[in-house]
Amino acid sequence: MLIEEHIRKNKRDTAVICIFMLLLLFAVIFAIGYILGAPPIFATAIGLPIAVTYILITYSFSVQSVISAAGARPANPQNRDEKILIYKVEEMAIASGLPTPTVYVQDSKDINAFATGKKPEEAIICATTGAIQQLNKEELEGVIGHEMSHIKNRDILVMTVTVGVVGAIALIAEIVFRMLFWGSISGGGRGGKKSGGGNAIVLILAIVFIILAPIFSRLTYFAISRRREYLADADGAYLTRNPEGLARALEKIKEDIPDDPKGSKTVAPLYIANPFKRALRNSIWSTHPPLDERIKRLRSM
Amino acid sequence: MDLILLILIIILVFIVVFFLLIYWGFYNRIIRYENRIDNSWAQIDVQLKRRADLIPNLMETVKGYMKHERETLENVTKARSAIMTAKTPQDSINADNMLTGALKTLFAVAESYPDLKANQNFLNLQDELTHTEDKIAYSRQHYNDSVLAFNNTVETFPGNIFARWMGKKEKQMLQIPEASREVPKVSF
Repeated sequence: MLIEEHIRKNKRDTAVICIFMLLLLFAVIFAIGYILGAPPIFATAIGLPIAVTYILITYSFSVQSVISAAGARPANPQNRDEKILIYKVEEMAIASGLPTPTVYVQDSKDINAFATGKKPEEAIICATTGAIQQLNKEELEGVIGHEMSHIKNRDILVMTVTVGVVGAIALIAEIVFRMLFWGSISGGGRGGKKSGGGNAIVLILAIVFIILAPIFSRLTYFAISRRREYLADADGAYLTRNPEGLARALEKIKEDIPDDPKGSKTVAPLYIANPFKRALRNSIWSTHPPLDERIKRLRSM
Repeated sequence: MDLILLILIIILVFIVVFFLLIYWGFYNRIIRYENRIDNSWAQIDVQLKRRADLIPNLMETVKGYMKHERETLENVTKARSAIMTAKTPQDSINADNMLTGALKTLFAVAESYPDLKANQNFLNLQDELTHTEDKIAYSRQHYNDSVLAFNNTVETFPGNIFARWMGKKEKQMLQIPEASREVPKVSF
């Protein structure tokens, strides 16, 4: 398959999952409306502000919290290694036709890198000192190309929105649990008019759906995160026209044992490879696809 | 009878509006792609100028060490002036490739001058010249990507029809001349 086709397919898949996430959120809101016997408009009027507020809060604090959690500092052009990193970021920005992101460095022996920012015009790329010392120019270029693609695809924004949806669904499910506990649902209007057997089954299905929704949304979040990594791999390889560079960098990351990672678990999905553990098998709970699979896909391009 | 006429008129209006919307979309897209090509050419031009500006500095630094490499130094200067006088984009790219070849030889020759290799100024210039060369390569790639996107729109249906109305034709990609792929010859 051509690299262009890879990218197109990944983009389509990602769009499908994003739409699915939004539908899931609305399904939860309508299910509650059904249980309470409230008109859907009324349920939406309560559910949407909660979701929107949550998204706005995570959105406005995303950049500062990521940089301070990682303990990153601006790159120093006087240092030759860091100067090469700045050069590589400039080159990848030109290749993708985007403005040059601000370059940060995180002091850590671990080979890793991440990109953050709300939009491509105010983006940040950060690499660890381990990465700039242990990777050669070609490998570093592959890693930066991967991060540049995260910026180009506005991944940080999509991830934040997804986190918002997951959070909102969890919140709603929590409220429903409480209401079930207090038995306030029996006071709703739906059961009164038609108390047929079919209606009861729908009611039970709606409750079961709300209970399962948080697990469902979390799994989707992880799937999105993994897909974004594959997409950034493919896109980054397209930028450098050299999939082998990134493949070799990932091989080095695989052999490198994570060493005292700074940064909280919330930042982990942003890194090019999970700094806490290297997944060897394909698990539905991991934020990153296994490195072997990524290397294999890069080599097949 | 009146009702049928009304429906016909409504359908006609819909078709016209639909058509205008498609034309609007394609018009903007073609102009946007064309601007992107112009902008990516401007990017290449900036890098070419930057690279040419670095050469006098390099010459100044190298001069004292490489007294017996007149030919190598002359080639670099010649390639630089070719960049400055180039008129078409393809000419500039050809001249830049000449410069890349000449610099490759110069840096290869510099390997045999330990004093020069220890010179911090020379090392910085070497880093920066390599960096601008990489930048030129990537902006050339971006230029060709932009041309590809433009050509795809202008040559496929229905874009080709609108492009003809707008008087837009497909554009040429930048070619890398064969000569630049040769390994520079170094004689000691």
